[in-house]
Amino acid sequence: MAGRINSVAGRLVLMLLLIHAVLMPLLFFTLERVIENNLTNAFVDDVRIYSRVFADNLETLDPDSSQPEIVALLDSAILGGHSVYAAVVYEDEPILSSLMTESEAGQFSEDFRFGQNDDDIYFLSVPVFASGVMGLLQLGVDELPTRESVERIRQTLVYMLVVYLVIAVAAGASLSSTIVRPIRWLQHASRDITSGNYDSELRSDTTLVEIRDLSEDLEKMRSNLVGINARLQQEIAEREQVEAEQEALEKRLRHAQRLESLGTLAGGVAHEFNNVLQPVLLYTDLAIEDLPSDSPISENLKRVMRLATRAKGLSQQILTFGRQSDDWDFRVLKLGPVIEEAMTMIRALLPATVDLRGSVAPDVGQVRCDPAQIQQLLLNLCHNSFRAIRSREGYIAVSVTEVLVPKRVVGKYMNIEPGEHAVIEVMDTGEGMDAETAERVFEPFFTTQSVGKGTGLGLSVVHGIVMRHDGEIMLESTPGKGTRIRIYLPIVDESVMAVT
Amino acid sequence: MARILIIDDEEDVRFVLGQVLERDGFEVELAENGKQGIEMIRDSECDLVITDVIMPGIDGVAVVQKIREEKPDIPIIVISGGGNPSPLEYEPGAIATNAYLASASQAGADRTLTKPFDRQELVDTVHTLLGS
Repeated sequence: MAGRINSVAGRLVLMLLLIHAVLMPLLFFTLERVIENNLTNAFVDDVRIYSRVFADNLETLDPDSSQPEIVALLDSAILGGHSVYAAVVYEDEPILSSLMTESEAGQFSEDFRFGQNDDDIYFLSVPVFASGVMGLLQLGVDELPTRESVERIRQTLVYMLVVYLVIAVAAGASLSSTIVRPIRWLQHASRDITSGNYDSELRSDTTLVEIRDLSEDLEKMRSNLVGINARLQQEIAEREQVEAEQEALEKRLRHAQRLESLGTLAGGVAHEFNNVLQPVLLYTDLAIEDLPSDSPISENLKRVMRLATRAKGLSQQILTFGRQSDDWDFRVLKLGPVIEEAMTMIRALLPATVDLRGSVAPDVGQVRCDPAQIQQLLLNLCHNSFRAIRSREGYIAVSVTEVLVPKRVVGKYMNIEPGEHAVIEVMDTGEGMDAETAERVFEPFFTTQSVGKGTGLGLSVVHGIVMRHDGEIMLESTPGKGTRIRIYLPIVDESVMAVT
Repeated sequence: MARILIIDDEEDVRFVLGQVLERDGFEVELAENGKQGIEMIRDSECDLVITDVIMPGIDGVAVVQKIREEKPDIPIIVISGGGNPSPLEYEPGAIATNAYLASASQAGADRTLTKPFDRQELVDTVHTLLGS
């Protein structure tokens, strides 16, 4: 209820009602009074004029000689419908109309005002002077018809005022609704904006200037808001993009740094190891030479020699990972034949049951590479794929293609120069690996094989070789689905090569 | 008989290289650091020098430079264990062995050998340089 009274429509209707509550009774009583006065005055004037005319007629008749004529005249007053009482008194001798009953005859009273004495009869006395005798004409006129017409007019007035009130309230309500509707509309519009739903344009069809101005201002505000919001969202999207790229870059850098420091550490160990291994190898060699070839000691020393040679190989692999090896033989050549040659060798090494597929695109440009190292790399990758497939149904697919590395991925995701690259891809449908393993798979001595089965150097050597070639290695793996490793090697521009 | 000077701070390496070459019929002299090695080259005639590259004090590169100043014709073999020196001594920016070997070659070393090399490799290299 309070809400209704506090609303614009409620206030308007209430104000209208209050105004009418004061004005209508005032109007009603004033009108009623004016009409009643007019009617009763007209009645009294009418009665006085008539009674004067009647008195004049009476004065023509002699009170003593013409009594029957007098009575007839008095009867005519009642019969004419003007009066209900008619009598004339000459020297205290009343002559009464023959049409009045006994009781009626005695009811005359001095009653000169309309509505007096509550008898509904207006009595009046008019002096009559006939044939030298003073008399008093007494007439009583029925007040009821006048009273009834006053009542009728009053009723009509009440009806009219009620109709007026209804019309006024209806008009007020409809007026208030024409004001309130656009205000409500504005209210909804602004509520929509507040709740974040401000995509549709605001267009008020109201003719009310204030509301139209207000809605135009609101529309301006809304469209500004839309602009600001779009700008903000764009900024957020851009920032998220930058952050994602930053994160990818940091991740890649962290990874590279870890591999770098591992390489440095491993290289340092290998260095010391090589210094120890050198005299072991040579002393053993000398000792074998000193012994007869059939000596059992010689047999053991040959074992030591073999082990030391194996240790030399390990140390060499560690140095390859750490890019500290010296045995590099870089040439500019097409990758295709190198890979095909390696595939032949790998096919021979792997069990015949392994499905090894190869495809080399014919138009891949030249790269600067050490073919022996590239073959080593492919061998290591295929070996890993083979182990990942194991007893599963699956295959290993090796391919060489040329791709254009776009500028936008460089730096953030890949540490290579943009441009044409030869891509060696080794894909298997093996067991794959989880993200945690994928993260560490290039670290030296990281292995998922049981102890004694793998050295854990295979992929770290691959990483070292790729880095030494200024290339990039990308790994995708899904546990249970397989692994795809792509190696990007920059294509050497032949015209540039010719100049240098 | 050709005389060969071996400079290496690691006693075991020095001795074993000496033994290998002596067996092959060479006369061998041993020096345990760069300073001693340079003095020995001044004092006595020798036909070939084998020097380690990473040594305390005067390193292999400096030894090669010194020899080239005084005796430009002596063949020099520089040897090194691949990789970097001890990881415990590693600092960012430390010179890698590769770089050492490269500087030694630039300074005038005839051959470089990366440890661990086998006996035949060493003997072949020495024979090649001496033209024997």
